[in-house]
Amino acid sequence: MNLFKVNCVFLLTGISFSGYAQENVADTIRQLNVVEVSTSRLILFSNANKSETLDSALLDRYTSSNLADILLNESQIFIKSYGLGSLASSSFRGSGANHTSVLWNGFNLQSPMNGIIDLSLIPANFMNNVAIQYGGAGALWGTGAVGGSIHLSNFSENNKGLTVSTTSSFGSFSDKQQQVNAEFSKKRLISSLKVFNHDAKNDFPFINSAQYGKPQQKQTNAELKEYGFLQENYFTINNYQKINTRLWYQSNDRNIPPSMTQNISVSNQKDEFYRATAEWQRVKEKLTLLIRAAYFDEFLSFTDSLINIENKSRTKVFISEGETRFSISKYDLLNIGVNNTYSEAITKDYVENAHQNRTAVFASYKLHSKNNNWDVVLSARQEFIENKTIPIAPSIGIKGKIFRHFYIKANAAKHYRIPTFNDLYWAQGGNPNLLPENGWSEEASLEHLYNLKKISWELSATAFNRNIDNWIIWLPNNYGIWSPENILTVWSRGLEYKAKINFRKNKFNFQLSGLYNYILSTNEKASTANDASLDKQLIYVPIQNVQGSMTVVYRGTMINYTQIYTGYRYTLSDNSKYLKPYSVANIQVSQTFLICTSKIKVFAQFNNLWNETYQVLAYRAMPLFNYQIGLSMLFNQPNKK
Amino acid sequence: MKSMKNKALNFKNTILFKSNQLFFLSTFAIAIMFSSCKKDDPEPEPAVGTTPGTSFDNGIFVTNEGSFGTGTGTISFYSRSSGSVSNDIFEAKNGYPLGNIVQSMEIYNGKAYVIVNNSGKVEVADGTSFASAGAIIGFTYPRYFLGINNTKGYVSEWGVGGVLGAIKIINLTTNTVTGTIPTGKGAEAMLLAGTKVYVTCSGGFDNDSTVNVINTLTNTAEITINVGANPKSIKMDVDGKLWVLCSGQWDPTYTFLMKPGKLVRIDTATNTVDLSLPFASTTSQPSNLVINNSLTSLYYSYDGAVYTHGYNASGLSSSAIINRSFYGFGIDPVNDYFYGSDAVDFSSNGKVIRYNASATVVDSFAVGVIPGNFFFK
Repeated sequence: MNLFKVNCVFLLTGISFSGYAQENVADTIRQLNVVEVSTSRLILFSNANKSETLDSALLDRYTSSNLADILLNESQIFIKSYGLGSLASSSFRGSGANHTSVLWNGFNLQSPMNGIIDLSLIPANFMNNVAIQYGGAGALWGTGAVGGSIHLSNFSENNKGLTVSTTSSFGSFSDKQQQVNAEFSKKRLISSLKVFNHDAKNDFPFINSAQYGKPQQKQTNAELKEYGFLQENYFTINNYQKINTRLWYQSNDRNIPPSMTQNISVSNQKDEFYRATAEWQRVKEKLTLLIRAAYFDEFLSFTDSLINIENKSRTKVFISEGETRFSISKYDLLNIGVNNTYSEAITKDYVENAHQNRTAVFASYKLHSKNNNWDVVLSARQEFIENKTIPIAPSIGIKGKIFRHFYIKANAAKHYRIPTFNDLYWAQGGNPNLLPENGWSEEASLEHLYNLKKISWELSATAFNRNIDNWIIWLPNNYGIWSPENILTVWSRGLEYKAKINFRKNKFNFQLSGLYNYILSTNEKASTANDASLDKQLIYVPIQNVQGSMTVVYRGTMINYTQIYTGYRYTLSDNSKYLKPYSVANIQVSQTFLICTSKIKVFAQFNNLWNETYQVLAYRAMPLFNYQIGLSMLFNQPNKK
Repeated sequence: MKSMKNKALNFKNTILFKSNQLFFLSTFAIAIMFSSCKKDDPEPEPAVGTTPGTSFDNGIFVTNEGSFGTGTGTISFYSRSSGSVSNDIFEAKNGYPLGNIVQSMEIYNGKAYVIVNNSGKVEVADGTSFASAGAIIGFTYPRYFLGINNTKGYVSEWGVGGVLGAIKIINLTTNTVTGTIPTGKGAEAMLLAGTKVYVTCSGGFDNDSTVNVINTLTNTAEITINVGANPKSIKMDVDGKLWVLCSGQWDPTYTFLMKPGKLVRIDTATNTVDLSLPFASTTSQPSNLVINNSLTSLYYSYDGAVYTHGYNASGLSSSAIINRSFYGFGIDPVNDYFYGSDAVDFSSNGKVIRYNASATVVDSFAVGVIPGNFFFK
């Protein structure tokens, strides 16, 4: 008993008790999940695409953040943020916000009304793993996977006993967050519940350079109130069969602040959703069968009494998907599936309530060499919208080891995005004759991976090319009525570099990483005579982006410094106006203590460390230096043997 | 960028077994990567048309609404004498933007009054140098300014919800709002005739069908004239009669005009409609009524073209004078030149096309984003 106490004290004071403390304590306060999502098409059939995985250890550093914050810091995706707590959408490789498909455990979350998902409404704490796949992949993920796709997944490990963790944080501008996770994990059954609550005023001070005398002002009408839960159950039927169910509920009530050129705003947006899914898996050597279904019921209400707007809408999406996977020979793997998606939207803004039934058949075939050094993947998807066939989306990819530690990846894929309900049914102006946007993406990467005992690194260079034809834009027609048309052709191409180095020196663990993008995304087709936007960079697509970060872990202490540089972004389509580049730095610090079977983590995050005044979008104020500090506690009681 | 990659590769090959130098080298490699990248930064083209003009006399002002959402409106100036164009003259002179959606401007008693719709303000500037002279605040969706006398001006506004409609009374000495005259919904264009101001009630974000007559001596709305669905513009002809263009009303699902547009004439002696000319189209709304210098010929947009209407004609013309549509237009009272604006893709700089009195293209020039209204000085 005495010895036990002494050990606990040793841990508290930071004296190493075992190797475990050095390696893992700082990485995570959550239980590290080693279980991979072995059933994902992403892992099995897209290894010729450039991708990144943000694992639970990394996500754990962002406990009190949302997905937009994480992607901003950890990926090469440009995040278009309207300000603290406001709408944040993604631009992959110079594409639009509706050219990203966001899949939650395989189900597409994009709104059928506008094709966009607000990344700021996805709490980091709800996801166990985030994978980012760059480039178009219509064959694998269907509509919207044009610029790239984001895969959010949940999984859990059996027989871990009872685990309860809580996190509370508070930060600048009256930001308060609480989270509680509880998981009960037995040999065959896992049941977990994650709950969060988030309130913020977001009344940050800023210099209003758009007003006479450039006065210092406080952001107004930016309050936010969010809460939600994610409930999951995993049941192992036998050695081969598993089922799981998930229910994600969230309520978000946000005021929408004025832009710097407006005097006031009284806009408010409420988003509320229920997302329920169920999945049955049968995984056996010879044949894998997967059947999954989802039902999403989402409400949105936008009100602005100043302009007499009270928009209410409700969308319902039913998705059912079946997949089978088997090998014909020792060297291949075949995946065949069918997806049915039924969407409907109820809103006064449409001529009539909109609904759509889509069915897609998809298949992927992977062939690998004897020594497993080379893979070729062929995929295709054929989608039918209300019995109308849309062009087939094929893809081909190859991955190979060219020599020791060096790999090449190359792929060409067709991508497409079907018109949204707003495009088709908006009163007035909706155009029911719109065609899907489509085109081809090609990319080639060279990767160098190296792993030694004390050092590992990863270097990669990727070149990509992408065309999007029939890009839909809204313009007034001859009668002055705004209406969408398949007008633009957009050509994007660029280079992406990534370097990550990990090494250990004594008890210190260092991680350095650098990311760089050079992206041109230009309009190749005039929408009107003498269109000055021809051959010009799309608005809000930075040509250059640079990120660098350094993480040091010493026993239970973690420090991370990240600096992000965003280059010029044009604000007008003829590129006659632009926003200046900006560079923002953040620091994360955490200290983890082990007290017997519990862990305690104290963390702090300092954003915009050097007080950069910047705008991501024109005249949208961004906060100067701000912070968030918090405390996490985790308790685990293993099952009795 | 290629060289950076090679450097990175070389770096690895050479230091595989020198782990003690690794930290420095890897830091160095990342540093190279960063520094080599910054060099390729493109120098973006300088913003066009920020040439700061110094005095703005004898010319045409164009109000550019600015990008939707978060943009700012601007004002362009075209000099009649030199033919040169100065863009964004307000920010160039004063160092801050006008604000979201520049609706219209007027120069009265040497002062420019610029209506900034979404920002709910009127920016006041010197009518020649465009140096800021402060802002008048306290509006909700203001539309147009009208000078009444040396100390008094009116500003029409749509009000909260865009459905109230009012004339705000402005003290031009103190630049403050001193009173409100309620009108029909969506108070829009104003016209001063003697001691009366005629205000079109355009419906705002709803519908209306009236012209309100305001007594400028008492600042009260005295008479309401029923004209037709959603009247927007009003002009006086050589006979002193008023022409009002009603844009019509959509059915609730916005598929057809349940009340098509109308051009109506008001006799100011009786304040009644003495001529009403309905448009045939159930899909196109007429808009943009202007009149030439001799007040004999009206111009308006309809069905993708520009038409004229003689002040004494009894029916609407069936042949267009210019076969294209414009976002906005105006007639130069000096030479009857027609100025039509083209907003192109609504997210880049627009242009203005000039036509002579016989509707032949003279030239065109680039202005700001979404050029909507003209003021001829």
